[in-house]
Amino acid sequence: MKTPEVHIKAVNLAKSVKVADGSLTILHDISLTINRGETVAIVGASGSGKSTLLSLLAGLDVPTTGQVMLGGQPLHQLSEDQRAAIRASSVGFVFQSFLLLPSLTALENVSLPAELAGIRDARARGLALLQQVGLAERADFYPSQLSGGEQQRVAIARAFITGPAVLFADEPSANLDTTTGRKVEDLLFKLNAEQGTTLILVTHNSELAQRCQRQYRMHAGRFISNEPKELSDVG
Amino acid sequence: MWAKIAWRLFWRELGRGELWVIAFALFLAVISVVSLTGITEGVKAALSQRSAQFNAADKVLRSSQPFDNDLIAQAQQQGLVVAQQMQFDSMLFAADTMQLATIKAVSSSYPLRGQLLLEAAEYTGGGAQVALSPGQVYFEARLFDLLKVSVGDDIELGMSRLKVGGVIVNEPDAPLSVFGGAPRVLMHLDDVAATQIVQPGSRIGYRYLFAGDSLSLAQFEQDITPGLTSHQRWQEMDRQSAIGSAIERAERFLLLAGLLGIILAACAAAVAANRYSQRHTQAVAVIKALGSTNAQIRLLYGSHLLLVVLFSMSIGMLAGQLAITAAQWGIGLYLPDYRPVFSWRPLWLGGLTCIICAALFAARPMWRLSQTPAIEVLKQPAAQGKLDKLQLLLGAGAIWALMWLFSSEFVLSLGLFALCAVFAGLLIGAATILLKIAKPVAAGQSSARRLALANLRRRLWANSFQLITFSLAIFLALLLYFLRAELIEQWQRQIPQGAPNQFLVNITATQQSTLNNFAAEHQLTLGQYFPVVRGRLTSINDEQLLQEASKEDRSEQRVGVGRELNLTWLADLPDNNQLLSGAWFSKDSRSEVSVEQELAERLQVKLGDTLAFSIGGQAVSATVSSIRKVDWNSLQPNFYMILSADILAEFPATYINAFYLDSERQLLLNQLARLLPTVSVISVDNIIKQVNDIIAQVSVALSFILLIICCAAVLVLVAQVQATLEQREQELAILRTLGARYPFLRNAMLLEFALLGAMAGLFATLLAETMLLIVQQRVFELPFAPHYTLWWLGPTLGVTLVTLMGWWQLRRLLQIPGAQLMRRVLQG
Repeated sequence: MKTPEVHIKAVNLAKSVKVADGSLTILHDISLTINRGETVAIVGASGSGKSTLLSLLAGLDVPTTGQVMLGGQPLHQLSEDQRAAIRASSVGFVFQSFLLLPSLTALENVSLPAELAGIRDARARGLALLQQVGLAERADFYPSQLSGGEQQRVAIARAFITGPAVLFADEPSANLDTTTGRKVEDLLFKLNAEQGTTLILVTHNSELAQRCQRQYRMHAGRFISNEPKELSDVG
Repeated sequence: MWAKIAWRLFWRELGRGELWVIAFALFLAVISVVSLTGITEGVKAALSQRSAQFNAADKVLRSSQPFDNDLIAQAQQQGLVVAQQMQFDSMLFAADTMQLATIKAVSSSYPLRGQLLLEAAEYTGGGAQVALSPGQVYFEARLFDLLKVSVGDDIELGMSRLKVGGVIVNEPDAPLSVFGGAPRVLMHLDDVAATQIVQPGSRIGYRYLFAGDSLSLAQFEQDITPGLTSHQRWQEMDRQSAIGSAIERAERFLLLAGLLGIILAACAAAVAANRYSQRHTQAVAVIKALGSTNAQIRLLYGSHLLLVVLFSMSIGMLAGQLAITAAQWGIGLYLPDYRPVFSWRPLWLGGLTCIICAALFAARPMWRLSQTPAIEVLKQPAAQGKLDKLQLLLGAGAIWALMWLFSSEFVLSLGLFALCAVFAGLLIGAATILLKIAKPVAAGQSSARRLALANLRRRLWANSFQLITFSLAIFLALLLYFLRAELIEQWQRQIPQGAPNQFLVNITATQQSTLNNFAAEHQLTLGQYFPVVRGRLTSINDEQLLQEASKEDRSEQRVGVGRELNLTWLADLPDNNQLLSGAWFSKDSRSEVSVEQELAERLQVKLGDTLAFSIGGQAVSATVSSIRKVDWNSLQPNFYMILSADILAEFPATYINAFYLDSERQLLLNQLARLLPTVSVISVDNIIKQVNDIIAQVSVALSFILLIICCAAVLVLVAQVQATLEQREQELAILRTLGARYPFLRNAMLLEFALLGAMAGLFATLLAETMLLIVQQRVFELPFAPHYTLWWLGPTLGVTLVTLMGWWQLRRLLQIPGAQLMRRVLQG
């Protein structure tokens, strides 16, 4: 059996923030290893530190102490611009509140990361992805003209346009009703499986977390358990 | 690729209206500067062209030494046209009579500006127009009678015999003094040598007249000024006249107005840029999360600002230039000889202002935007940005820099700036106190009122900047409105309807009854008879005065007035005179003199000094008993020296009087000239007409500026209300969800804006009244009078404007259904 390739590795991560009377540690001694192509859920209640962890693993922020490696690159040692370059080439995001640019159409929103990365056929790729998420006919709509579910589908298409090696999803269905949320989740897992992307999903929804191969549970900035799941369970 | 994305985002943002407020604010700043500077320059050019006509040249160099041919050659080499002129007093002889006259000899090229009109007749309109030619002299009309000569007769001047050519109808640079003096004679410069009048020691005034384009003139002036002797000096082009003074005030006013307009526009730009930056924080975070670097974001949003700056600058310059052209066309209607001028100065000054405003007011929020960390994608957007202290500091510095740039007065700009800062502090303090008082009052009020007050309290603390800018905007509009009205009223008061426009000089005591009868017969209202005796000031406290300064003379000796003075005696202090020190004459005053303030300063004369005069060869002396300030702008006879009646009553005096004559009855002047041939009539009709025309012109310019200021003020209000839109949207969503009904929300919102407007209006009124007091007295030198209208207009304007503006922008928010509103808020 082939040894799985480590994609993301965190060692003794901690994050403190300044508050009025000193500093507050919001993440304590986090270590994890995620293999390429794995789907991992980080589960916890609001304020447990899961989004902070996501920001460190994705290189959106740097840890106060500890190390984080993404695709062999030491994110904790890189400058903001170097981390941006890594995000541009190998990271995709899906956010809870979609975060589409209101002044761009659905197609332009999807194509934007490819354009920023200098990919020539950005538009064609964008259209193909919109087709895949079932919104080709809404390509020229602005976000304000789309429903919440449609906006999140556009955001998912945007996340996959550069063919990222890793996808970070922050509560992707939390702002949607159950039915729409489920559809969006299905789409996310389907595209992820098709592209073989490593998926790190932050959620407080245990049902959604169950769809991932592994789960990390967080409480007050610490891991409280790490429950591996059988690959066959992934929906 | 980046340029493509930047360009696409720019057009989309423009389409969404986000950038328009910034663009419009910058446009207003540019159009204010370009049009103000341009119109002021145009009016100044009109004034200088007009004074060039009254000086017969663009520049006049006076000298007491004979003409220097090298100087003339240099001027011609530098592309200027030159004319020469000599002036001296001499006796004219004709058969049995003789008369002292002021002779002006001019070269063929005279006049360089304005028009010389001579007629081959003894009175105006009596013959054909002729040109000045050698061998001939032309007279002021009264000289024909005094010398008892006719056209074609010979007269003797020095050793020459010259033929009388006719009458001087219009001499462009004739003195406008209402005192007249000796009758004037015009002759050709070529004839002067033969008269042999010019001898060493003769008192002769030489004048070089220059004309040409302003650059060559300025260069020539700069080149020769350092080498001028003490006998040579540039003639002041008239700034003392009523027009000069009106323009000077208008210039200051326009400057002030422009400055205030720029400050308002800059405030609007800053507020709008802040909002833009705040609204785009999340977009920037998203783009960064997608892999963009800081530099790329700066490029993206920097290019937006650059495009807005270029757009606003070019449109502002174009519109400003159009306003200038329109103003110049307007000036041309009033002043037919006006030659429009084009200058790059307004354009580059407008461009510079735009860059300063953009760099110091809008660039900082844009820079802050580019610094947004990518991590912000995971955070809830803040509805209200934090107060950026550096931005405040930069903005304040920029306001002061602009004030300095435009006023060129360090102290004035610093004072005005300090006042604004104190005002801001006071405003925050006052708002705090008012709202503290309002809290217990609100407890017993309806819920809509309570909500309005609670909103006000919370938002004021969060953003007291809003109240300051509201107040500032209303204050500036009020200030400008009242100053404009005041300025125009003051000008009109200066030359009231029916003010005397015909001055009669050289009236003898015996002619008074004839004149009175003539006036009664034709229903003319004569004024007061001012007696005039001409005399020379010879010494101060027994110290002999030099009559003219010379280079060789380095003694401490004081220099006198250099000409004969018109002395008068009056029982009462004239209306347009103000006693600064000492006391006015009493019935028992003996040998006293009242001296005009500026002359007293120049001669270093103080109360109690003894002045000696030579009047008709006889010496008299008087003690200085008072110093007066004289309003030289009033078209009234004004005197440097007024003596007590006991001194002058013994000397033969002539009198001055004046009356108003409407333009339809101008022919009466010919009758008067025939009735009293030795009396000179000096018409100031043209001056009055020009003053009125220019005032009308400047008034239009002032109204235009007021319009710009009001636009800027409204823009500030719009930008400010827009800046709170997101926060209001959130609150409305919550209130709607909690079941608040439309009328309740509407009433609360209207009340909040009305209260805010009332406060802003009240503060604006207080400040406007204070500033009016300062500006009136210090800048325009006008007396202060409280403005009662202001006290109701200010608060009313505040309530109306702020409420309307708030309602106009927020009514759509109120009409959005609760669920939709909540979704908008949740989706960010």
